[in-house]
Amino acid sequence: MLHYVIRRLLLMVPTLVGISLVVFLLVGLAPGGVGAALRGAGTGGGGAGGGGAASFDAGTRAAMEAYLDERYGLADPVLVQYGRWLARVSPIKFGPRDLVAPDGEVVRRPGAVREPPAWRLFADALPRGTGEAERSGGAAGGADTPAAFARLRAAHATARAAATRTRGELEAALVAYARAAGLPEPADADGRLRPGIFEGRAPRADLPEWAVARIAAEAALSAFAEAERTRGALLAAFDRGPLPSAGFWVLPGLVSVASPDLGVAFSKNRPVSALMAEALPVTLLLNLLALPFIYLVAIPGGALAAARAGTWVDGALGGLFVALWSVPAVWAGVLAVGFLASERHLGLFPASGLHAAGADAMAFLPGPGVDGGWEAGYLLDLLWHVCLPVACLAYGGFAVLSKQTRAAMLETMGRDHVRTARAKGLGPREVLLRHVLRNSLLPLITMFVSVFPAMLSGSVVIERVFSVPGMGSLMIDAIQMRDREVLLAGVLMVGGVNVLALLLADVLYAAADPRVTLG
Amino acid sequence: MADRASHRAGPWGEAWARVVRRPGAACALAWLGVVAFFAALAPVIASGHPLVWTQRGADGAARRTFPLVEHLSAWDLVLAVGVPIAAVVLALPGRALGATRGERWRWVVASGIQAGITVAVCGLARAVLGEASAVTAGVIAAVVGGAGWLLPIVGRPGARAVMAVAVALGCVAACHLGSRVPLVDFDRYAQAEASGGATGVYTLIPWSPGQGRTDWYVKPPGWRVEAERGAASGGGAGGGRVFVLGTDALGRDVLSQMLHACRLSISIGLVSTGIAVAIGVTLGALMGFFGGWVDAVLMRLVEVVMAIPVLFLLIVAVGVLPTEWRTTHALMVVIGCVSWTGAARFTRAEFMKLRGQEFVLAARAAGLPLRSVLGRHILPNAVTPVLVDASFAVAAAILAEATLSYLGLGPPEQASWGALLAGATGTVGDFVWWLAIFPGGAIFLTVLSYNLVGEALRDAMDPRRRARTDLA
Repeated sequence: MLHYVIRRLLLMVPTLVGISLVVFLLVGLAPGGVGAALRGAGTGGGGAGGGGAASFDAGTRAAMEAYLDERYGLADPVLVQYGRWLARVSPIKFGPRDLVAPDGEVVRRPGAVREPPAWRLFADALPRGTGEAERSGGAAGGADTPAAFARLRAAHATARAAATRTRGELEAALVAYARAAGLPEPADADGRLRPGIFEGRAPRADLPEWAVARIAAEAALSAFAEAERTRGALLAAFDRGPLPSAGFWVLPGLVSVASPDLGVAFSKNRPVSALMAEALPVTLLLNLLALPFIYLVAIPGGALAAARAGTWVDGALGGLFVALWSVPAVWAGVLAVGFLASERHLGLFPASGLHAAGADAMAFLPGPGVDGGWEAGYLLDLLWHVCLPVACLAYGGFAVLSKQTRAAMLETMGRDHVRTARAKGLGPREVLLRHVLRNSLLPLITMFVSVFPAMLSGSVVIERVFSVPGMGSLMIDAIQMRDREVLLAGVLMVGGVNVLALLLADVLYAAADPRVTLG
Repeated sequence: MADRASHRAGPWGEAWARVVRRPGAACALAWLGVVAFFAALAPVIASGHPLVWTQRGADGAARRTFPLVEHLSAWDLVLAVGVPIAAVVLALPGRALGATRGERWRWVVASGIQAGITVAVCGLARAVLGEASAVTAGVIAAVVGGAGWLLPIVGRPGARAVMAVAVALGCVAACHLGSRVPLVDFDRYAQAEASGGATGVYTLIPWSPGQGRTDWYVKPPGWRVEAERGAASGGGAGGGRVFVLGTDALGRDVLSQMLHACRLSISIGLVSTGIAVAIGVTLGALMGFFGGWVDAVLMRLVEVVMAIPVLFLLIVAVGVLPTEWRTTHALMVVIGCVSWTGAARFTRAEFMKLRGQEFVLAARAAGLPLRSVLGRHILPNAVTPVLVDASFAVAAAILAEATLSYLGLGPPEQASWGALLAGATGTVGDFVWWLAIFPGGAIFLTVLSYNLVGEALRDAMDPRRRARTDLA
């Protein structure tokens, strides 16, 4: 059994890698690439597409694009970006270990700063002193406290941002200069400067654009030098280990194991893993509450239909469940909010959220409140809030499970032991409950698998309708902000939960039925 | 007697007869017929353009124009003409037109595919080549659309040629006549009528889906527009016209939007399922026939796609599209590309079952090319479960479109049941019951209908189930 579970868990790895690849390609290969989407979102505000970017002048726009390129590594091909993301998410890391900041954020070694485009044209504007000299000098700097390290990080982040911004501005200025100088097609469709376009051409200093480009180049080169200097200092500090390292070595110096780093959600400026840790339990709570509810309705319903197979009861139950199955979750949610929860109509349930306003101050169980009156308590308050969402998640599963129950019972009814039970004179009720139903329950253990993915899908809309802060709400927020890290991590998480549920079903089945051997 | 009739109709005709006999499925088909009717004719039934517009000139002479017809797009024209013709051809009794009903079904399907391809290609060619080369665009569209007739579903070459030419001519003509006016000012009709210089005869539902005024926002069903000042009578200047199902947050008529949204729902359901079935059958046939590593690799792909709950995959795929790319066609492709796993698994199982059977071995031993073995010998015997499943897949696709539109990820600027439903809560802050009941009910009935038809079809095609239900 243990071997089987371990093997299945290992087989999950390629599936999860496949899921992430599919999603990454979707995001990366969308028309215009994620870059276009991000630029649209970053400049035009929520979902305005590419149109918003036009409202900025070329320099600002270029700086913004350079920032996005830097942040997501968009300049590389999609597969390279994917490899980088996978290396970060993989729990097995190669090379030196990362550090962990006190708030749980993983601190990676700073990568190389991209040098300004065509900087050789302006070689005479190079400031003195390069990063290499600073690196050895910084080692002697002492003060390896976390606070000093945080200062170094902040300094490098500022310098890097300045370098990125000035780099983008220089690129825009160079494109303008190349246009003015009459060079053919200086920029590609995205407005990026074509590499190597100034090869073998003397600069035309008489153009006013040249002067602008020169000023931009001076700023870019000095910002680049500053970024390299701070990077050197930071790298030196890194090696002295001011913070605890992430994970532990498997092969010292080469391979280490650390918890996956899902990155930072730029739309909320928080680690993605923290967002997931808040949202995933909420979604799972809703789904796990809905499952027993489905079983409670579907098994008696299916049993009744099987007992009366072929009569109008069977037909009516079948029709009712198919009708429920066809009710769109969106519609059910809207109707529930509108009629059951709205103050204007019945107002029986809370319309949104998971807790009442003062829920954190409540006692866990119901009892006398602070002011002497009766208070519902945290638990009851939560259950009252999830009533409608859980009902909306559950009703769709009735059809599938009751149909499977009915089929399983009809099959059992034809077996020999049932005939024997009838032959020895047991009543139909006795036969049905003790001999048929009991023996039909075994396949029901695995049945939740057939409704679980649909329920996870349904929870997206249900969470949206009822403003429940779960995975669905998180994903929709992320889509509106085009937050790639959250999207990737969210789909990966949900896919992982789904695959785990499949495994759980198989294991449960083997545990319940001694005839089944896994291996 | 009944047996002989069903015998003559072939397995599909027989299954069809069994489906229609079930009252639930018959009601479902009736509802789908209503939706299809409005999908084809909504622009003619619900429009803010007057049917007949009489303008009195300075010399007192009346000039008659027909703005409604002038503003129909190429798709509107093709559907408004083609669908009634198809309905009549199908409804003719017995061996009318010298063909059985089965044959006439094939004519209609083939013509429909050709018309769809022709109009789509014509629009694309005009967009790419520019308006100047309209003739080139027409020729390209006619040729590409004619390729639709390579599908070997119509038997007689003569009838095939006549129909192909007729459909091609009709579609290209529609593309030339179709209006491409993107923005229309509906207020000018009201203003002209108010000044007394013109009168218009409107259709039964005198609103276009995009026509709205902010001072008409969120009016309940049955709300009547007040006659504007200066109007000659109660009928003038839009006065006295009724919003039968109320208006939405932008003051647009709900009924008109719902009728126009029929086309979106039906077309997304059918086309995306067609794409999904095409992908699924191809991959499933490869998996089932070859087995081995092909099967292993493709099965991993199926597992991966199935592991992601559909809606998560959809919102990521649609959400990352730039807004200008988020068209109906893109939505069809995306929904089709994420929902092919069911068809693939069914086809794979059937092909695995069939590949060792004698007739397949005989075909291979006779040296037939692989294409023929797969397509001519195995596929027709393996396709039943896929086609039965397709009915449920259409329901799922319609649901997916409604959900995406509800979440604000549907095609913008297009009437959609899901988008209407989203207006019920949220935008106005209060609960708008007519935006919840009517569009939601339409989604529910359509999805239910496809599910009922699917169930009936499954029971009808499965001899084991049939025996059970017939006995009961």
